[in-house]
Amino acid sequence: MNDQFILVGARTPLPPPAKKEPWYRGKPVVSMAILAAVALGCLCCELFIPKDPAYMDLFHGSEAPNAEFWFGTDTMGRDIFSMIWYGGRVSLLIGFLSTAISTVLAILFGAASGLAPRWLDALLMRLTEIFLSIPSLLLIVLLQSILGKASVVSLSLVIGVTGWTSVAKVVRSEVRQLRSSEYVLASRCMGAGFFHILRRHLAPNFFSSILFMVVMNVRSAIAAESTLSFIGLGLPLEVISWGSMLSLSEKALLSGAWWIILIPGAFLVVTLLCVTEIGNWLRGEGDRRASNL
Amino acid sequence: MRQKSPFLYCGKKLLSFLLSVFLLSVAVFYAARLAPGDPLVSYYGDRAEKMTSQERAWAEARLGLDQPIYVQYARWLENAARGDFGISYKYKMDVAEVIAARLPNTLILGGISFVLIFTGALVLGALCVWNEGKWLDRFICKVGTVVSCIPEFWLSLVLILVFAVLLRWLPSSGAYTIGGGGVADRAAHLALPLAVAVAGHLWYYAYMIRNKLLEEVRADYVLLAKSKGLGSRAVLLRHCLRGVMPTYLSLMAISVPHILGGTYIIETVFSYPGIGTLSYESARYQDYNLLMLLCLLSGGLVIFCNILAQMINERIDPRMRSEEPPEVSDRE
Repeated sequence: MNDQFILVGARTPLPPPAKKEPWYRGKPVVSMAILAAVALGCLCCELFIPKDPAYMDLFHGSEAPNAEFWFGTDTMGRDIFSMIWYGGRVSLLIGFLSTAISTVLAILFGAASGLAPRWLDALLMRLTEIFLSIPSLLLIVLLQSILGKASVVSLSLVIGVTGWTSVAKVVRSEVRQLRSSEYVLASRCMGAGFFHILRRHLAPNFFSSILFMVVMNVRSAIAAESTLSFIGLGLPLEVISWGSMLSLSEKALLSGAWWIILIPGAFLVVTLLCVTEIGNWLRGEGDRRASNL
Repeated sequence: MRQKSPFLYCGKKLLSFLLSVFLLSVAVFYAARLAPGDPLVSYYGDRAEKMTSQERAWAEARLGLDQPIYVQYARWLENAARGDFGISYKYKMDVAEVIAARLPNTLILGGISFVLIFTGALVLGALCVWNEGKWLDRFICKVGTVVSCIPEFWLSLVLILVFAVLLRWLPSSGAYTIGGGGVADRAAHLALPLAVAVAGHLWYYAYMIRNKLLEEVRADYVLLAKSKGLGSRAVLLRHCLRGVMPTYLSLMAISVPHILGGTYIIETVFSYPGIGTLSYESARYQDYNLLMLLCLLSGGLVIFCNILAQMINERIDPRMRSEEPPEVSDRE
């Protein structure tokens, strides 16, 4: 484009000494700090929560925040402050567990489809499309009823199984680009198996392009847990999580008990926001040429 | 470049559509019947639990549930081909009628939010690009990121809390007041669900369009147009927007399932009598015939939109054509 003339033999001027960037420049420090604080608080919640989160104090049902119950109590008299930290464990655990499940599924499926002969690849992709076309809510209802009563593991499984397709598509298209590169061919000629090629040659290459999506999957898994628990398809009330806490909110709406809705929801949204910020940072900004406009 | 007859092309697409819908119907049919649960409960209500085994056998035979699943499927397919999708176990009516009664509600909600989302996304995307890097762009991006993190059900709850419980301006549930209700009444019931549906999706598509437009304004033809004396605004509105139109169209096609899926949750929260609440019920209570038709309708729509998006993409970018897959050696 705008090439400069290069004088042959002329000395190129030394570039100005690069100013050392502060380490936090361009990193979502605030989000990371908040997320770390929330995660740490949830993991070590036994150390500081004032009440037993599962204890139903029948004399103090639906109390607004006060000195004894910092965030108020829910309709069954449980202390919301304690429940938030205790329930955060389950929500975060489901987020990570189901993302792990969906990522493994996606990588296996995507790599298999990418390495497969063309007809098999087309077939697998068509199957993915059919899978995608079943409304996810219906799929979840069906899966839930097959798996039986919802638990943390079954819910993670359901969310993971319904959320692998987009990552699988990216993995597949990356693998299709990589499959005839020399090192993969060489490795094949030496008799390497599928998993060896996947681990040593393919995964390192497509890892960076799915990392952002994987982080975003953590976010959508946490959101999915809360949504499912809210509409009664997820965790039951006894298993405390941010979602099951919010499933009481329809009762709370009638009595105008705003703290039951707003406080757990605020924790949920802030966590999701922090994860998103980190995901956006991982995606990077690409090339930033000047606009022609 | 191979030339193909458009007839053959459309036929091929149609065939793949029909095949997908067929596979979908088999999958849903088997999944629904293999899932535990008692369809007789949804037909006979609580009476089903007190039935003797003889009565049960009779009832199952009457509903055709005593045969192996593939026989049931064949029979279903035969009737479906004649336009008879069976009766709903719960409503004791033809499933098509049950759905027809609810469909307009979902279409209104989904359709209006679709239009609002895509006009809004285009306007926001263009605004961001026009003010790239300035405070307005940054502000819109920030608000968008925050809103996109709020789960739809929670946003609905907060809106209900503020507008229906505290301020008492808007009703909190339903699609219209029972008994009465003109356009204003419907609009009042629609306002909150619509706001949630639009807020939940607007940002994602605005962001996609923004990114695409940002690439577009860096193209060389923008320099050419400007050096011929065209103003920045004219270049953006007349040329760059036209350049992102194909992406915009395929986004529209792909978005249909997402917006549809979003309305399912919203309908549940607002007890809005639409397809979403109906699907949820039918899957929960083993109302097989209803479930089948609902899945076929929404799944068929999704598959159709996917094929449409694929066709648009193929027209824009010949490299995407599946007949000539991008072989790797000559990449870029």
